[in-house]
Amino acid sequence: MRYTVRAAALRESGNGSPHLKFSFFHLMPYTHLDLESHDWPFPNRYFDAAKASALYKTYVESMIHAESCGFDWVGCNEHHFSPYGMMANCNLIGGALAYPTKRVKIAMIGNLVPLNNPIRVAEEYAMLDCMSGGRLVAGLMRGIPHEYLAYNIPPGESWERQREAVQLILKAWTEPEPFGWEGKHFQYRQVSIWPKPMQKPHPPLVISASNADSAKFAAEMRATMGMVLLADLPSGKECIRIYKETARANGWEPAAENVLVGMHTCIAETDEQARRQLAHGLKYFDEVLMGGLQASQRIVLQKTRYFENEESRDRWKSRLDKRRTLTLDEAIERGTVLCGSPETVVAQIKRIHGELGHGVFNFTVKVGTLPDEVIRRGMELFRDRVHPHVRDL
Amino acid sequence: MQPQQRKVPLSSGELTYFVAGEGRPIVYLHPAGGVRWTRVLEGLAKSFALHVPVIPGFDGTSAHGAVTSMQGLAKLMGEFIDKVIGGTSDVMGCSFGGCVALWLAAERPDRVDHLVLECPAVFRPGGARPADAEALKKLLFLHPEKLPPESKPPEQEAANRRMPPHYRATDDPDSELLAKTASIDKLTLILHGTADRMIPKESVQLLKSRMPRSYLVYVWDAAHAIEVDQPERMLSLVESFLQRSEGFMVNWGTLALDAG
Repeated sequence: MRYTVRAAALRESGNGSPHLKFSFFHLMPYTHLDLESHDWPFPNRYFDAAKASALYKTYVESMIHAESCGFDWVGCNEHHFSPYGMMANCNLIGGALAYPTKRVKIAMIGNLVPLNNPIRVAEEYAMLDCMSGGRLVAGLMRGIPHEYLAYNIPPGESWERQREAVQLILKAWTEPEPFGWEGKHFQYRQVSIWPKPMQKPHPPLVISASNADSAKFAAEMRATMGMVLLADLPSGKECIRIYKETARANGWEPAAENVLVGMHTCIAETDEQARRQLAHGLKYFDEVLMGGLQASQRIVLQKTRYFENEESRDRWKSRLDKRRTLTLDEAIERGTVLCGSPETVVAQIKRIHGELGHGVFNFTVKVGTLPDEVIRRGMELFRDRVHPHVRDL
Repeated sequence: MQPQQRKVPLSSGELTYFVAGEGRPIVYLHPAGGVRWTRVLEGLAKSFALHVPVIPGFDGTSAHGAVTSMQGLAKLMGEFIDKVIGGTSDVMGCSFGGCVALWLAAERPDRVDHLVLECPAVFRPGGARPADAEALKKLLFLHPEKLPPESKPPEQEAANRRMPPHYRATDDPDSELLAKTASIDKLTLILHGTADRMIPKESVQLLKSRMPRSYLVYVWDAAHAIEVDQPERMLSLVESFLQRSEGFMVNWGTLALDAG
């Protein structure tokens, strides 16, 4: 009963209001591995389908539960060939969330559009938008370097494919007549998707904006800028500045809700408990889930034009290096991790929001092997002791 | 392949035209800037007998006193086909020329086979055509670096751009022409650049919705002058359409039973 009353109150506070929004984001990692790093792609001889089946169930149930805990969005994304995330197609998870939830935005952040058939992305997103009654947030992401190996797409074409695919998807959603597309990377003679999205002219977009180039592109496309795993506050601030400046040059003014900032999050009864649990989860995250990516990443970065210039490439590398070398305490101090008791996390949220002024806070809750019961308890603490103090920011 | 300049006497006066290549005839109706020999035209001349009439008053030619409307211009182009080609011809028109091509298909359907409308200027929002040459260039081309070497003096280009009003071509929707489009039954390919800021997409969408046998294709990374911005892609598309008709919709791959 308590959940129901709280959920109703939260509904009244409503989406679409200027309040700070919270997104419950799930990477859906495979957590049954020894602490052993492997190069990418991770050999799937280690994969146990029965264990994965149980994980999917747990993960989806916690995402559904997020609605009653005050979250405004539930989100997930796409990754390939590794235990980092078991969502080759996150839209399948979106479909599983559409009916059991009623209020939360279904945030796919998102499909890796340069790797996929853009028409298929447009179709599946339109389905999700109709199925969810117009609650889709459509992430159109470029993907991280090694993902290009998975689908044998030249990493050097990454930016061009991203730009073309996003424009094609928008066309597919908004054209009133069958049309053809003569692009450099995509060619179609007759497109007329069924269904079209419920939201008009199309669902809100999220585009990754973790560097200057991507921040500019997100603004040009009038998308919400997404920094799903914030590197540090100064670089986050700089990306937001570039994004807003580009948006104004393109004739529009972003709202706070057009800036999404995300980070690993762990809320427990005490600071000590939260730190201990998150440190445990992070060990698996860093050593198993992230650790094996290095060789493939290095090859793509060194041998291809995935990044258009050296500055962007170096910034990305230094971001990764920084992540690896920071201790949890340092990350908390730098404002790139939310971790602690409810009162501590309230203070952390206020501090980071005060610095960045963003409108959507994206919590990555399943960090490595962080136990699901700890996450569940953290969601309830968020509902009862965090959200009431930060929702009006 | 160098185009040959020729002249033909027509009922209202002499008409200058260029011809290049051999094969099935195609008539290309130029935009308001006049004739520009682009890589698309060069490519078409390798497979078709390409005819490029200079619309009277453009590129230093004299206007015909009796021809003062788009409809009149279309009839003149019909007469040109009668006299020079002597049968039906594929017709391709660019921007202002696209409008003439539409009128031609409406007035002389007996002379038009396939129709290709490249960013046809059926209507455009007021003020979309700047007087300043540099501003106009930015509007026309996304990739001006691809422009072929220009032999036309800027004064000639400016004089050309003053001609459409002579034919009463306006920026407003031509209601008379739009009323006729539904009855045009020619297989039609409508092209629009995804970055075209001269002709709104609504203009080509309207045409597509009214013309029963039309196909609308957006050319990515092209502004108004698709021929200049993306010549290879445009040529390949137009050739496929002209050679395969409705079959251009199919990705033939390498195992087509009959690629024709």
